Amino acid sequence: AKEKERKKERDRKRRRNVARRASSARKQGNELEDRPGREERRGRKKRDKEGKGKGGEDERQEEVKNDTVAKTQKNFSNENTRKLEQKEVEVVGEEDGDTEEKRKNGRSEKGGKKEDNGRGETVEKKQKKKRVETSEEHESSEEEEDEEEKVGEEKPEVLSPEELEKLKEEVDERKKLISTLRGKPWPMRKKLLTLRESHEFVEKYEGALGKGKSRKLYAYKVMMLKKWMKFQRDFENFKTACVPWEMKIKEIESHFGSSVASYFIFLRWMYGINMILFGLTFGLVMVPEALMGRPYGSMPRKTVPRADEANAMDFAVLWDFGGYAQYSVLFYGYYNSQRAIGWLKFRMPLSYFLVGVGTVAYSYMVVIRTMARNANEDGGGDNNSFNFSWKMFTSWDYLIGNPETADNKFASITTSFKEAILEEQESRKDDNIHLTRFLRVLANFLVLCCLAGSGYLIYFVVRRSQKFALEGLESHSWWERNEVNMVMSLLGMFCPMLFDVISALENYHPRIALQWQLGRIFALFLGNLYTFIIALMDEINLKREEEEVLKLNMTIWEASLYNGTLGANSTAPPITVHPADIPRGPCWETMVGQEFVRLIVSDTMTTYITLLIGDFLRAVLVRFLNYCWCWDLEAGFPSYSEFDVSGNVLGLIFNQGMIWMGAFYAPCLPALNVLRLHVSMYLQCWAVMCCNVPQERVFKASGSNNFYMAMLLVILFLSTLPAIYTIVTIPPSFDCGPFSGKSRMFDVIQETLESDFPAWFGKVFSYASNPGLVLPFLLLMVLAIYYLQSTSKSYKQANLELKKKLQTQNEENKKKTKMAALKAAMDLEEAQKARSEAPRQQRKNNASQQSYTGEKNTVTGHLVSSFVFVYPPAPRGHRIPGPLPGNQWQPAPSVQRVPNSQRH
Amino acid sequence: MGSRASTLLREEEIEEIKKETGFSHSQITRLYSRFTSLDKGENGTLSREDFQRIPELAINPLGDRIINAFFPEGEDQVNFRGFMRTLAHFRPIEDNEKNKDPIASEPLNSRSNKLLFAFRLYDLDRDDKISRDELLQVLRMMVGVNISDEQLGSIADRTIQEADQNGDNSISFNEFIKVGNVYILYIDIDIDI
Repeated sequence: AKEKERKKERDRKRRRNVARRASSARKQGNELEDRPGREERRGRKKRDKEGKGKGGEDERQEEVKNDTVAKTQKNFSNENTRKLEQKEVEVVGEEDGDTEEKRKNGRSEKGGKKEDNGRGETVEKKQKKKRVETSEEHESSEEEEDEEEKVGEEKPEVLSPEELEKLKEEVDERKKLISTLRGKPWPMRKKLLTLRESHEFVEKYEGALGKGKSRKLYAYKVMMLKKWMKFQRDFENFKTACVPWEMKIKEIESHFGSSVASYFIFLRWMYGINMILFGLTFGLVMVPEALMGRPYGSMPRKTVPRADEANAMDFAVLWDFGGYAQYSVLFYGYYNSQRAIGWLKFRMPLSYFLVGVGTVAYSYMVVIRTMARNANEDGGGDNNSFNFSWKMFTSWDYLIGNPETADNKFASITTSFKEAILEEQESRKDDNIHLTRFLRVLANFLVLCCLAGSGYLIYFVVRRSQKFALEGLESHSWWERNEVNMVMSLLGMFCPMLFDVISALENYHPRIALQWQLGRIFALFLGNLYTFIIALMDEINLKREEEEVLKLNMTIWEASLYNGTLGANSTAPPITVHPADIPRGPCWETMVGQEFVRLIVSDTMTTYITLLIGDFLRAVLVRFLNYCWCWDLEAGFPSYSEFDVSGNVLGLIFNQGMIWMGAFYAPCLPALNVLRLHVSMYLQCWAVMCCNVPQERVFKASGSNNFYMAMLLVILFLSTLPAIYTIVTIPPSFDCGPFSGKSRMFDVIQETLESDFPAWFGKVFSYASNPGLVLPFLLLMVLAIYYLQSTSKSYKQANLELKKKLQTQNEENKKKTKMAALKAAMDLEEAQKARSEAPRQQRKNNASQQSYTGEKNTVTGHLVSSFVFVYPPAPRGHRIPGPLPGNQWQPAPSVQRVPNSQRH
Repeated sequence: MGSRASTLLREEEIEEIKKETGFSHSQITRLYSRFTSLDKGENGTLSREDFQRIPELAINPLGDRIINAFFPEGEDQVNFRGFMRTLAHFRPIEDNEKNKDPIASEPLNSRSNKLLFAFRLYDLDRDDKISRDELLQVLRMMVGVNISDEQLGSIADRTIQEADQNGDNSISFNEFIKVGNVYILYIDIDIDI
């Protein structure tokens, strides 16, 4: 009860203050204005305590954070407010003669206000969160507040006395509420919430009451500025929170180093690209066909043939993407060649073609753009001069208050130190250069032999299998039939190991070693690609022959059907045959699409299973068998696995190549890939964190993984080649797909030009595609590329030159400083000598002591001279008298002031 | 508690603190409430244990050093004045303060004083030099047992080699300023972009 009374009293006092302020009692102004602020604080503190009693530990934490955060922000805001304040004071001066007094008032008032805002921001944030929870309870009060806020916002500009009066009333009401809150029979949470709301309101508008017009405008401006800054900050936070998997990747980076993290960043980037490809194919091809195209079963290409109908729904068939899956929007063959579908007149074949071209074009653009951007980032300044010092003095983030984050930070500091140590060791390494060169040449020779051997082996095996295929597969053994696959997987398994062993010879920096390794395995896998494409082309040719035969049969079949019915009844209605019964061509496009989809699925499965067995099972066995084993499994032979960066990156790149190659014939491929990448992100993140150990030599990956991008570009190029080849040279199937009936797929462009555009456009287009125009244009482009490339080269060189210059200058400076320091020390010593020269004998006696003081002077001499050298024009430096022996600290103040005086 | 806050913090005391540290009135009152909330013994001074209860300091590898900075040599209690004096190092430099004439005594929050504060964190034996051993100790705090002594030694050596300009195998405050200034410059650029 006592407490209550005290509060009431305080409240009364405060109200009085407000009233007095309103009547501008200038004399007491300064003192009085400080008071409510303080009392407010006290009140709040008490309430804080209450909250703590309820377990409001977090509140305290927040306050700490607040303090520290405020430190950084205030710097900024202070400048602004001060400027505004000055302006404002001028305005007041015009209105009122008594500037001094007002200014004082304004200062203290503003100080208080600033604080409140700073605090109010976080409170507001919390409030919002809580508001959601208790919104029902507070509907009425919230509405009220909204109204008030509106009033408050309008107020600074429109200053009618009624409004002011109203506002004052509101404020008083709030204060009453604050003082009587304790007695209210509400739950604690509601109390706290209302308390905060009211406090905020009072703080916001109390200061605005009873001041001059300009003050309110100013307060409004400041408020808006604060709001804006807060919004910007929140927006930044929001942007960071929107980056998917950022936390996971950061955690991995802190434990496993940047090289492993670079793989995950690459994976995320890939995921983004595939999302866009998926959006294109899904939105412009699959959905329109499914919604507006003819329904399933309406025509032969959209129906499962009679022979397959029985088991078209079996899981095994569906898993193989046959049956109903084959005759759906997932594959090329399902699409109809009707020019425009639906009420939108959607140009399906055109859209299909453009999306196919667009995905490739977009991929090229994105990859090249990313590469260019990364190249820009490489050209940063000189980062190495104080590398270790910075790591040493600035690595800890003092705002960390969460033990888990602290653990991560510890790990990341450790990792970064390890990386730095490695870099250092590598840069110091200078053993026999001739031996290293010889070994490197030898290693490359060995690898080349390896690659050539495996290339020949692949070629040989493929030729043999082609021969077998012509002879018919049935007459050969299992090995002969699966020879190609077996050879490929064996090569893929053993060659990387071999390369790994060979690369130990080379003695490269691990980052460069990783790049070499990647390049070599890449070359090996190209063989894989080659065999796959050869096999595919063979199959396409086979299907096309089949198609020719079938076309012939088809006419016979039709004729027979027609003749048969004609014979029976000459006036019969047009014959209706169920679409499932009509014979159809093999549709090589769908076959190609299916082939790719199967490949992707099996590849994904293999990756996941190897992950589970090779990493997880191994880790589990090592962990638990270790209790009952003869040797230490964890430290000894099997141990835990390391994360295989090169293998995973290559897997990702080749997988993407398959997507680019097959996406034209199977629009579902990007969707599948998005799914796969999504799952593997989570799976691999989990696997890395739980079953892998960091590499023995953690090294710093280059910030921009342009090497990955370069490989991706090569793969992109290689995979678009066959796709474009098939599109341009092979005529489409006659009875399936959006281009059926045309002699070439790109005829769809011609058709659109002729029928959808005015005649002149077609004419212009035909002129433009004239070789006489195209060739000079190409030539021009080549010339432009050449020119740009040479200029960029020269820029790069200039950049390097400048960098070098800077570095040497730095070193020179350092040397000079050292020299100057030395010289100054000598001078000082001489001066000392001169000073103590008078009695020679005495000096002899005091020899030992002399040398001692001389040494001391050297230290101070360093300080002084370095100061003098660095800032020669400062006369104060010269005025410094010879330092007295034994007073080490004497020159320190002037030295410390250096940065200050330099700034002026 | 509220009454205690006002009785302990008199108006003239606030004025003095204001003069000494440059904090505003409301900042002082706020920090005072914070001070009293930290003060579990309720005797107007803070002990080391009081500081160690702040989570940010408890998990900070240099937390002990920061806490040490609050205490004058040989004492293990700090009153509000001392508390504020140390905190004044963290106050941002304001525009109008920069233009003061350089002969006047430096405010506690000047850049060089800030740097000196940071320097003292690493200078364990307060001899105004950061020696190799001191660096090693700090490193040990920062990375735990994950890195071998030998490697830590090489890091410390490298750090000294980078920052040391007069070849005495330790980092003096003057040399520390160079590192610090370069660093601040770097940060400034970062924020501008």
